[in-house]
Amino acid sequence: MTKAGMTTVQQAREAEVVKTSRSLPAAVWAVILSVLLAASIVVAVTIGPAGLTAGDVWASILAHLGFGDPTLSPLRDGIVWQLRMPRVLTAAAVGAGLALAGAIMQAVTRNPLADPYLLGLSSGASVGAVIVLVLGVSIALPFAAFAGALVALGFTLVLAGAAGRITPTRTVLAGLAVSSVFGAVTSLIIFWSATGDSYREILNWLLGSLAGAEWPAVAISVGALLLVGGPLLASARTLDAFAFGDASAAALGVNVDRTRWLLLGGTALLTGAMVSVSGSIGFIGLVLPHAVRLLTGPGHRALLPLSALAGAIFLIWADTAARTLFDPRELPVGIITALVGGPVFAVLILRSRRIS
Amino acid sequence: MSATVRVRSLVLSLHPPEATIRRSVVPLVTLAASVALLSGCAATPEPSSTAAASGSGTDTASTGYPLTVDNCGTEVTFTQAPQKVVTIKSTTLETLLALGLGDHVVGSAFTDGPVPDDQADAAAAITSISDFVPGQEATLALEPDLVYAGWESNLTAEGAGDRATLAGLGVNSYVAPSACKEEAYKPDPLTFDDVFSEIEEVGAIFDVSDRAAELVAEQEKDLAAVTKNESGLTALWYSSGTDTPYVGAGIGAPEMMMEAAGLENIAADVHDTWSALGWESIVADDPDVIVLIDATWNTAASKIATLEANPATAELTAVKEKHYVTVPFPAGEAGVRNVDAVSSITDQLETLGL
Repeated sequence: MTKAGMTTVQQAREAEVVKTSRSLPAAVWAVILSVLLAASIVVAVTIGPAGLTAGDVWASILAHLGFGDPTLSPLRDGIVWQLRMPRVLTAAAVGAGLALAGAIMQAVTRNPLADPYLLGLSSGASVGAVIVLVLGVSIALPFAAFAGALVALGFTLVLAGAAGRITPTRTVLAGLAVSSVFGAVTSLIIFWSATGDSYREILNWLLGSLAGAEWPAVAISVGALLLVGGPLLASARTLDAFAFGDASAAALGVNVDRTRWLLLGGTALLTGAMVSVSGSIGFIGLVLPHAVRLLTGPGHRALLPLSALAGAIFLIWADTAARTLFDPRELPVGIITALVGGPVFAVLILRSRRIS
Repeated sequence: MSATVRVRSLVLSLHPPEATIRRSVVPLVTLAASVALLSGCAATPEPSSTAAASGSGTDTASTGYPLTVDNCGTEVTFTQAPQKVVTIKSTTLETLLALGLGDHVVGSAFTDGPVPDDQADAAAAITSISDFVPGQEATLALEPDLVYAGWESNLTAEGAGDRATLAGLGVNSYVAPSACKEEAYKPDPLTFDDVFSEIEEVGAIFDVSDRAAELVAEQEKDLAAVTKNESGLTALWYSSGTDTPYVGAGIGAPEMMMEAAGLENIAADVHDTWSALGWESIVADDPDVIVLIDATWNTAASKIATLEANPATAELTAVKEKHYVTVPFPAGEAGVRNVDAVSSITDQLETLGL
């Protein structure tokens, strides 16, 4: 059994090497995506309903970084530095965090459909956040969201485990059940407590929105990405082992249960932090790891960082669309990610069929 | 979103305090007191300690800046009369127009219908920036020094900007006090005094207290001239909605106007400004009159069609007898058109022979 497991892993590794060598090496993709991310940030801050020129926007930003003087009025300078810049950076961090969380969950649960949404993390985090926002319970929002995410994840795994061995299918079904219940609890709290037209605000939040992202949101999302996402990136090898089943992973020296809980706890923390600043934005955790896998193959050492980069770029542009497409109105960005993410996922399904 | 994520303390004062404390020729302490009285109940506008009223021997009261008002729980300090205002919703635009401040409005948004005829010319010159709640960047691009909103929920990150964010950028925000949602600030019930004190507070903010006083006096006179309907009619204030209608409840502007017109609101026992009310209880109460709110997006005619199409409501007395009274949407929310709306309601009741 052990020997057989080893062989499978080795074969898969070899197959992976063969496959990735056909396309560009992961390092090249990493450079390309990093450049694209930097370019996206640079360009996205210059786009917005206020119609500021790129030169003015960058003069403003450079002035805040200590170079030169802003050419804009204080209010327009505020649009750039207090609204757009933190929003773009938050979008990047949230996109990266969600994509990373999705990639890890897909590996740990060996389920291509796993993402923070599907396993109940997002809806759990929403319950936590809505309790703070609507009921005014005084806990820090990210912690409430994290606690909610953890509770939901716990329910999902316990339910999946109670039904027998934790299999991918059981995990998804349990996640669906937990998501529905937590979604209903969120709706109940809102329905019960929201007065008059404050529904709108909460609806925006439930759909996912970066409209309120200012510097504190940057601190939370970037902080969570560095503190939690960083260590998670280092788990790539373990995740490769997980890909071939618990038995194979154990054979490779992985303490399966402990590692699974540690990784899932980490993703819960990451998701909770992201949901607390952006609401629950769907599809990023599901779609982007799949898209990246098509580029680099399933090896997690490439998949994790590249998914994070791709997630960052994707959410920056989705949010730019959300705040400019229907100027002067804004859309919740979750609508855009779902509108784009759904069809992209469909294309991925069709492509993967052709490849296999 | 995330209220706690925002830094409330981040109030960068981009506008240096331009405290133009006007020296009064005579120390008019008594006048200051009477101005404070005029501007409504003691709970609403509290001029800061540095604020002083001055008058040069005439009866015009001018505002001393900085003026700090406690607006729905948010302290807003004006260092001078706002020069560039963005209004959100009809009531705010109409209040400013009624005070002759149309030239201070750099953009209006989310209006609920046309302004009254006597304001049409002044309104024609004002740019409408959005038919809905504008985004914060679109609002800020006009470089306003005040965003005057009809609803608290207009001032969120998803809308025209969170109040703390706006303050951080040096932009004041002011919400119609009648729309405050916080327990301590929500008028319960709303009275005409609340409506008038908003006019006075806005007058003080813009340093046109004399015009505000004139307007209030005029409105008080018109309100006193209304002949209350004495027939003891019950009524439904039908604002919007079809499956579950949204109706005027016990403590808001609809109740205030119905009471002034002599109508008994069938939803008066619902302790809210507006509320969803099931058709079943409406049919059970069988109101004598239905007040229909007419908005461009939800016309009075469409409400009549709804009422007549549903077999249960088609049997209501008011529907069978066509006892309908129409109120334009902007007049249905607390503002300068409420008094006119009351007299229009009583006139319409008279025309209906009720």
